[in-house]
Order: sequence, then structure tokens, then C-alpha cells
Amino acid sequence: MSHWRASLLAALLASGAVGAVAQTPKPATGNLTIAFAAEATMLDPAKSAAGVDQYFFGQIYEQLVRPDPSLKKVNWLAESWSVQDDGGKPVIDVVLRKGVKFHTGDTMTAEDFAFAYNRLRDNKVSRWSHLQASVESFEIVDPYHFRIHFKQGDGSYVADNLQLWAMSKAYFDKVGDEEFGKTPIGTGPWKFVSRTIKEDLKLEAFDDYWNPTQRPTVKNLTVKIIPEDLTRVAAFKTGAVDWIDAVPPALVEEFKKMPGVTVASYVSPNNMYIAMDAIDENVPMHDVRVRQAAAHAVDVDAIIKGVLFGQGVRYAEVGPGELGYDPDLKPYPYDPKKARALLTEAGFPRGFDIPCYNLTSPREPYQKEMGEAVFAYLTAVGIRCKVQGQEYGAWITFGRRDRPGHIDGFYSNMWGHGLPGDAGTAWAGHVHTYVPGAGWGITSVHSDPELDALIEQLKATMDTQQRDALIRKIARIKRDRVAGGLTTYRPVVTFAWRDNVTFIAWPTPGFWRNLQQIGLKQ
Amino acid sequence: MPRFLLHRLLQGLVSIVGASIVIFLIARLSGDPILILLPNDASPQLIAETKRNLGLDLPLWHQYLIFAWNALGGDFGRSYRWQMPALQLILDRLPATIELAICGLVFSVAIAVPVGVLSAVRPGGWTDRFGRVFAMLGQAMPAFWVGLLLILFFAVELNWLPAFGYGGVSHIIMPAIALGWYPVAAQTRIVRSAMRDVLDSDHIRLSRALGTPEHWIVWKYALRNAAVPLLTMLGVYFAAMLGGAFVVETIFAWPGVGRTVVEAVFSRDFPVVQAGVLFTSILFVLSNLLVDLAYGIVDPRIRADR
Repeated sequence: MSHWRASLLAALLASGAVGAVAQTPKPATGNLTIAFAAEATMLDPAKSAAGVDQYFFGQIYEQLVRPDPSLKKVNWLAESWSVQDDGGKPVIDVVLRKGVKFHTGDTMTAEDFAFAYNRLRDNKVSRWSHLQASVESFEIVDPYHFRIHFKQGDGSYVADNLQLWAMSKAYFDKVGDEEFGKTPIGTGPWKFVSRTIKEDLKLEAFDDYWNPTQRPTVKNLTVKIIPEDLTRVAAFKTGAVDWIDAVPPALVEEFKKMPGVTVASYVSPNNMYIAMDAIDENVPMHDVRVRQAAAHAVDVDAIIKGVLFGQGVRYAEVGPGELGYDPDLKPYPYDPKKARALLTEAGFPRGFDIPCYNLTSPREPYQKEMGEAVFAYLTAVGIRCKVQGQEYGAWITFGRRDRPGHIDGFYSNMWGHGLPGDAGTAWAGHVHTYVPGAGWGITSVHSDPELDALIEQLKATMDTQQRDALIRKIARIKRDRVAGGLTTYRPVVTFAWRDNVTFIAWPTPGFWRNLQQIGLKQ
Repeated sequence: MPRFLLHRLLQGLVSIVGASIVIFLIARLSGDPILILLPNDASPQLIAETKRNLGLDLPLWHQYLIFAWNALGGDFGRSYRWQMPALQLILDRLPATIELAICGLVFSVAIAVPVGVLSAVRPGGWTDRFGRVFAMLGQAMPAFWVGLLLILFFAVELNWLPAFGYGGVSHIIMPAIALGWYPVAAQTRIVRSAMRDVLDSDHIRLSRALGTPEHWIVWKYALRNAAVPLLTMLGVYFAAMLGGAFVVETIFAWPGVGRTVVEAVFSRDFPVVQAGVLFTSILFVLSNLLVDLAYGIVDPRIRADR
């Protein structure tokens, strides 16, 4: 675990160095080819369907606020912002940075954010309209000043970087919906050049980028799509690409020994957990003792070591770097004897048979194997898993509550909220009781009125310190009651680049794959 | 001959319609795309409206008729996931897959025919033994493993060929070998077996008695007679390569239609699945029709029967 911390520190130091020295940067020059394992489908932030889309459009579009390489939130397109009170209703007041240009040359103004808000809240366009549900109105004060009025408090708006992406209204009006998505125009450090589906994305450094110190120093960037792990590694070894993401966990140690290569690992914002049906009274996991037995039955540390080659970080509910992290809150220790005792106490001395659903399509590294290992540990104490593999399409809909029926056993799942972030939005989805059509508990198979009330309170709380205290409180209850599933680990994602490349990893957007500062050594 | 051609074309049409019905039904039985498309707080009204907009609220037979009618006009609908015409998505990638399948087939024939013929000519000899070992290896080594071995050896160790991607001749060598490796085994066995039968036949014995040179007998008379079963197999394997190139396309980051369709299956992107499978079916039918026509070229007796 120490290497990713070291990498983070190195990135932080490097970031500071770059920021201090490169006040008037030289124009970007040269060409660089890199490779990603996954490919986006949509390049339009409003139509994005998955986190992987951000790997691509996150290079082109920017937000008002973002975390820097040290995970500290910094004002980005917002020069300043604050949460104010307007007769008991919260208002987010934003002053925009001046002189920010879109890739078309148009100047970014509050009109563009009003357009982005309207586009993101339209559920016929956006899959993320629920994130704007608390907003009552959008008020433009002047070209560089706007206010977002809320019906009630919405803490996730603050936690999720003020939600809005800068989208050019003038460009949309000129080219229409389809071209807007095909040829994206943002304010980001990279301009879109071309995209060939299943092959590559070509980008060019934006000369008029507003941030002179934290920007790419290479002119042309080609992002190849190489989904197969070993092919991506081979492409790197043969010099066809100079930077790759998602080094396979089994090869991380080999990469560290390669001369002329730098390797850095970062904790993924995807949080792996094992959901379990606790709402059906006829299912054993309705009893908290059975859920605790499951938590004691699985040796997560051994799985990380043996299955993931150490490329995972165990944590209890909220990880380091997130709001509400509590170093005193520890994961359940591996204790199969206690697990069996709890099962006996709950009335299952001989255990029971239960369906266990596992994702078999590639998503996070070795996720299928991790699920198999967890289910094997459960079986060993008497929770006899009848494992059923599911390909991605079946898996992603199987976990949703707005389908007929619900998970009737254990289910390998994950949730993500970015780093740094907080767990509010994720818990609203998989810990809160399911409320049809309201956005609560969309993947939840748990129901706990006390937790529901706390999560609703968290959603309404926009003050960061109050959120921190609430998250700690919920995390402790969640951990003790094994509510909303058994939290297991966060995967570690590893990048490698040749020594002719300069790279500082920026976190979300893009789950660390943001190419804010990449270049070639002069 | 024209009557035969018309008959086979009609049979092909029935096969394509049958395939379109099967894939249409199977795709819809596999799950509902609505949940993947809509936000978490989608109301029942929005779900119903989206279903209506996509035509998913209609009875299956009605949905199929709409699909078939539009497909006749070249409209396969818009991809739910990529939000672009499904046909464009498939047609943009189809040439890469056809190119790969043809090269894979050429590779397999280029190996299978000489090895099969030499094995038949000298049964028990070193070529025969080599042919058997080769056939066994071909059957035992799956395409993904062959592909990775090729990459490790020719790209990483020797640096002779690019490890991935679509481009010139050098890019297609390893994917074609990986795809064509498996059929080599079966084709070698077919050629060997057919050649053994032909070489034992009366007309070959007569040719030998008349003093025809042996190489002439083997490579002209016998091989032509032994080609019919191989041709049958090539038609089937070409179609299998078109439909089964997914693994090789993934390993070599080859931008083909196989990867596109499999990913569409995962995301329940019905228009793309339907367009992809239908075009693969059409190619399957066409390749079998070409094989039927080729029978007449290699065997005049078949031509006369028609």
C-alpha cells in the first residue's frame, strides 16, 4: 500500500515544482502516443453513460471546481464560490474566472453554465438529471456571475464539484445536438481532433488554454484503445506507445524493475462491496448476525494479497482522502469461528444455501476472481454460495431496483464517487431504502429507518464540516450493521510511462486518467 | 444454372429472414435496455415514454415488422449506446472484419493444403507425422493464446511486427495467423483424407499406368478431385471467422464488427446487435453460395447436374 502513497507524494511534489517554475510555458511541441484499456462511448458530458466516458471527455471539458494532484479541492473555472442562505433556502453563488476561452475562441460566460444546467437537468437528454433535482432555478447575475437556487439543501452538489461542466451554448446553437456530441468543444487543455471508434482518439494541446502553468507540454496526443491487458503491455514494451494505464496487477512488480520506466499507482475511486439481500424477511441476511457472520467470514486481506497481487486497499466504509474518513473505524477482522458462532446464534447451525451473483465480464482488475474468492470464503463457514456468473449487461440491470424483483442473495458490486469525494450520493443509492421514482435506493437491498433519516439529512447538508461529522456517524452504523453490503476494498490502478515522458497524475474527472500535465522531456 | 442460382438465392433469403427473427427475439429475451439508458430517479412515466419512443412498448411481432420494413430501406435504427445510426457503426467496421477473415482463411489454406497433400502422398512419413502434430496443436491452442504467443515472440522479442492495431500488411499478419490457426488442423485432416481416397481411385491408377508424372497426378488430378470437401469446409469456416473474430479483434485491438457486436450485446444495444448479426448472416449466405458455385468449377459433373 505504501507505493501508491509514495507516488501520490511524488506527484504532489512534482506538481508544486511545475507550478513554481513554468510561469511562462513554451508552446507545446512534439507527438505522443499513449494507450487506454477502456473506451468511452459518449463525448457529451450530458449524455455520458459511465465513468469511462470521463477518461475521454474529461480531457476536453472542465468543471467549476476540481481536486488537484494532492486531492485538495481547488477552484477551477470558478474564481470563487460560496453557499449562501436565501430565506431558508440555500443558494450557491459562483463568480467565474475571466478570460477562459472555448476551443472555438468564444469566451466562457454564465450563459454557458445556464445552458449546461438546462441540458444536464433534461431527463430526455441526460442520464444524470437526478443530480439537478434539488435545483429550483438558475440565475445569471452578470456574464461572470451566476447563482444556483435550491428547493432544499443538496450536499452532493458541493461534494461532486458543483456538478456542472462548461458547455458552449454558442457552439451548440451553431452545430446542433448530434455534432455537439461528435465533435466536442470545451475549455480544457486538449482540443478534440478526431476519433475512430475502437481505434483511437486524437487530441491537440489548446494554445489559448487559460492555465499557463498546469497544462500539457506536448502538442499532439494520440490515445490508442487497447482493451487486452497483455497486448497493451506489449505495445508499451515495443515502444509503440509511451504511456499506458491499467498495468495488470500481476505485472506491476515486473514493470517496477524495468529500466527507463516510471510506474505509479493510485487508489481507484471505485469501491468494491458485496451486496446482500436484507429486505426479504425470508432471507437469512435479514438478520444482522448473519450479515456480521458474512463480514467475519471473508479474509479480504488474503484476497488482496493472493488474488490482486497486493493491488487493492482495504478500508472500512470511507477510505483515506474522502470526507468523513475515520482512522479509528476498522474493517471486520477475519474470524471464521466467530462467523460460525454468529450463524448458529441466528438459527443456522448448519448454514444455508444462497444464490451468489458474480460479474464475469472485465471491469475492475480480477473482479471475477475476487468475487469467486469471497463466495468461497462464505461457503467455508456454511453460507453455501450457489455462484451464478453474469455478463455485464445482465449484471448492471440485475442490481437495479426499478426492474421486477430484486437481488435474492449475495451480489458482487461496486460504487464510485470520485476522489476526493464523499459517500453521500453513493449511500443514497445503495444503503437508503428504495423509493420508486425518487432516486433513493436505486440499487439498495437494505432498509433501515435510522440510516434513511441520516442519509436524507446528509443529502440536505451543504456545510462540509457538518457533512464530515454525519458521514462518520453513518459509516459507524453502516459498518456495525453491515448495512448496504460488505465493504471490501478499492482497486489500485497503475500507470507506466517511459522516461522521455513527463506526467503528473490528476484525479477526477477521469479517475486519475486526466492528462492535465503530460509532455515530452525536452 | 440460372435456375440453380435463383433457387439458392431464395434459400439464402429464407435463411436471412430466419436469422433476423431469431436474433430479434433472442436480443429482447436477454434483457431490457431501458434501465441502462435512464437516470436513477426515472419515473414510471419517463420509463413508459422512453419505451414508447423506442417502440419497445409494442407487441414483439409488431416491433419485428417495423424493424424488417425499416431494414429493407437500410434503416436499422439508432444505436442506444453510441447514439448514431446502427448501420453506419456496423458498415464502418465490416471491411476490417472481412479483411481479417479472408486473410485468416488464406493462411489456413496455405498451410493445410500442402501439409495435407504431402501427408496423403507419404502416409507414415515425416510430413504425415508433422501434419498430425500440427493438427493436434491447432485444435488444442485457442486463438487468444496463439495471439498472445505471437505478440510476445514477433512483437516483443523480435520487434518484427506491430503488437496491435489496424494498418498495413504488417498489422494483419499476426491476427490472420491467430484466426486461421484453428481451422488449419481440420482442413489438413480433410485434405489428407480426401487425397487418400482419390489417390486410391481407378483413374489415378490409370494415369500412373500411362506414365503421367507423379507430381502432375498429385497436384493437378488428385487435388482437384479432393477439393470439393475442402471447399465445403471453407464456406463454413469463412462464416465462422466472420462471426467468431471477436476474440482476435480484442487481442489485437482490431477495429472489427465482432467487438462492436459483442459490446452491444452487453449493453443491450438492440439496433447494433440486429444490424451486426444480419450482415454477418448475409455474408454467411453469400459465402456458401460462392462455395456452391465453386463446386461446378472444380467438378464438371456437378456443373452438368445443374
